[in-house]
Amino acid sequence: MSPTLHDEIREVVKEYPEPRSAIIPALRLAQERHGGWLPDEAFRQVAEALDVTPAYCVSIASFYDMFHTEPVGRHLVEVCTNVSCAVSGAQRVVEAFERELGVHAGETTEDGNVTLRTVECLGGCGWATVVAVDNRHHLRVQAGDVGGIVKELGE
Amino acid sequence: MSDLVKLTIDDREVEVAKGTGLVETAAAAGIEIPVFCYEPRLGPAVGACRMCLVEVEGMPKLQAGCTLTAQDGMVVHTASTSARAAEGQKGTLEFILVNHPLDCPVCDKGGECPLQDLTFRYGPGSTRMTFPKLTFDKPIPVSPLIALDRERCILCYRCTRFSSDVAEDEQLIARNRGAYSMIATFGDEPYRAPFSGNVIELCPVGALTSTQYRFEARPWEIQDVPTVCGLCPAGCNIRATTREGLVKRVQSRNHPEVDGGWLCDKGRFTFPHLRSDDRVREPLVRGTVGLEPVSWDAALDRAEELLRGAQGKIVTALSGSETTEIAYGLGVLLRRGLGAHSAVLDESTSAALDACRAPLSTIGAAELVVVVGDDEVVDRAPIVDLWLRKARRAGAEIVTIGARGSVPAPVGGAAEALRDLAAADSELGGRLRASDRAILVWSGSGGGGGARLAEAAHALGFEGKPGCAVFHLPARANARGVAEAWAAAADADEADPEPIGLLVVSGDEAAGDPSVRALAERASTVIAITMFHSLAVGWADLVLPATASLEREGTAMNLEGRVQRLRRAVTPPVPDELAWLSKLAERFGVALSPHAAVVFEELSGRIYGGLLLEQLGEHAGLPARRPYEAPEPTPLAHSPEANVPEDHFVGTLRLLRYTPLFSGHQVERVPELQFQRPEREVALSTVDADRRGIATGDLVSLRSNGTSVELRARVDARLVEGVARLADEHAAHLHADVEVVKA
Repeated sequence: MSPTLHDEIREVVKEYPEPRSAIIPALRLAQERHGGWLPDEAFRQVAEALDVTPAYCVSIASFYDMFHTEPVGRHLVEVCTNVSCAVSGAQRVVEAFERELGVHAGETTEDGNVTLRTVECLGGCGWATVVAVDNRHHLRVQAGDVGGIVKELGE
Repeated sequence: MSDLVKLTIDDREVEVAKGTGLVETAAAAGIEIPVFCYEPRLGPAVGACRMCLVEVEGMPKLQAGCTLTAQDGMVVHTASTSARAAEGQKGTLEFILVNHPLDCPVCDKGGECPLQDLTFRYGPGSTRMTFPKLTFDKPIPVSPLIALDRERCILCYRCTRFSSDVAEDEQLIARNRGAYSMIATFGDEPYRAPFSGNVIELCPVGALTSTQYRFEARPWEIQDVPTVCGLCPAGCNIRATTREGLVKRVQSRNHPEVDGGWLCDKGRFTFPHLRSDDRVREPLVRGTVGLEPVSWDAALDRAEELLRGAQGKIVTALSGSETTEIAYGLGVLLRRGLGAHSAVLDESTSAALDACRAPLSTIGAAELVVVVGDDEVVDRAPIVDLWLRKARRAGAEIVTIGARGSVPAPVGGAAEALRDLAAADSELGGRLRASDRAILVWSGSGGGGGARLAEAAHALGFEGKPGCAVFHLPARANARGVAEAWAAAADADEADPEPIGLLVVSGDEAAGDPSVRALAERASTVIAITMFHSLAVGWADLVLPATASLEREGTAMNLEGRVQRLRRAVTPPVPDELAWLSKLAERFGVALSPHAAVVFEELSGRIYGGLLLEQLGEHAGLPARRPYEAPEPTPLAHSPEANVPEDHFVGTLRLLRYTPLFSGHQVERVPELQFQRPEREVALSTVDADRRGIATGDLVSLRSNGTSVELRARVDARLVEGVARLADEHAAHLHADVEVVKA
């Protein structure tokens, strides 16, 4: 039997001076367990495991870009539109993804396969434009590379 | 003095204590540094709103004044002497107003709004904003008590800081970040916490408003009456806002020693009970078809008849919520006029506590606090809970000894725990003895808590240490004042009459008390003084209408022993108690003034040490400690818990009833407060739940002596083994021992 989310979180808690310090890894675990996003139920589970309020968990999760409070597709495409990427043509990359996927940034394809988002800095300013596909970084992405990336994501 | 620092603000020299905030320092020099987010009661300044920008010589950029403390030799220029500061401030204000709707004419805050005031004083006269402003759904119900108009919010974070850093309920949060931040609760859940209403007062704009006050009044047509909350023994200082003879809202009147400017939701939101539909508005006499209204003359005739008919065999059930003057008036009539000395009062307290009294704020500075008793502090005297939290945040150790304590104790074990603390070999007792900042609190029923507490504090040597204090939290708001006033009204020994010819029930708490009802079974006749019909029907021969504390002139003594003045916020719909008590007293040849101030003068010499009404002022002081006198067993200490059996049957659990904060006759009559009432649930210890295969959320059945109650179970890891804990209102007729089984 696989360990419950509660057990997993309690395991992580041991590495911190107090339970609430483990909120970020706990939310990450919960997000993995809930198909890549955090429904209300996930917040309740994390809150219960850390002895904090669900509202507190929301305040943390909603602050960070890597936590999702709305459902996401099976794949997640995140295009950095921060300064370095913006001057390197990030907007054209975003538009190319929108064309290829048939959705606007912030939306999920109708078949639930891909969610497209724009995000703040991914820490790769020297290799702009950076696109994270399922948390793996593609560097120096140009609009012309987009078709290939989308093809890899399949149907 | 080396503790003083000298600095210059706007070319004025100021000298203040080291560590004083710059905002306060400027205020001391008569200079305003405008603020929105700054509120020292919320903890360290955050500098979120930037309204307080000042220029400090030697610092290249403008500084958030609220985050600075006064330093020796500092030279500060506010907007009035620095063009840069003025420009910065103007820019800040313009930025704050970018998305603010400026709907002041329809906003409840209009006229008493810091944003409005500061915009007038410092802001630009017109806007350069040509884009559409952000709009949101509105109003968003934060709870049935609080509405949120999100577009008015300036993100000062006062409300969320209160929620996380003062009340520590962490229910009101900021979602998202930066420009997209918004104040929210979890999902659609209401802000359900004992102190939620404080965020309304903290909000410096009209974003968080009271649903009770929304669209009810404008600031120029209201009157604020300074009085004292009468719903628990803390006696928080309040302002009752009235308009056209009705109370419209209750706000804090910050007494730094008592409440620190906070109020619980019971104190803040319960006033609509004054206008309850079932309020008794005229005297009622039992006739052939139940209670019938009669004239006041007929009612007083009937009262006289009942009082004479009882031939002195009278028992008076006091509520402890009366003003001291009303209790004294009752004593004058019944004791002096009729020789009826017998009275009952739930949980009286002890004058011996005066030897170790101190302001409640002392708790905030404590290093060690020990709370004994089975009740949560927040249920008995909510504001004390905030002082305890403050102490804990400042590093104090809080030890609780009770059925849900950090040190588990059997139900009703508080008196014993105190005895143990005072014993020479107690480790915790030793630390209490050694500390200069130690506090003892009794938060439970029965056992003569006040007297036990006074004895323990005396044994621990608290008297000589001003930082050490004891607090007894009695169930009733003016328990102490009422008991002392009744005692002072005449000199005679109490003799419990048998049979009881007449039971006089004074007030709603007594009228709703099962032990008083049981007493009535043994009485031939009953006079009930009550505000509500439902408390009058079925048992009273004569019903005299009562008034509420917001309608009363008089005084009350809070749990510190502080005498505070109540002022009539609104005229009651009925004559007040002293008015008809004085008329009745006249019929029995004793003198009693109908005026609270005159009664006060008479009783003050007897119980308040000759205090004058003028001395109380708006913020009453706490009298000095009195020498310790070993407490006598007080004649009023009839404890309903005294007959609890020592051990229980195998397999049964001991029933632990508690009275939740949001309960009682006033709360029941306020629809918007109902969501704050406790769930229908019983708490069980982990061990007892496991033994019975019960998990949180399971439907369980509680049985005893042929009665049973069904409710949800909640596993409470803090609860001591062998106990089933549930709210009074859900316990119905269950006996002391209950069987708990899965339904």
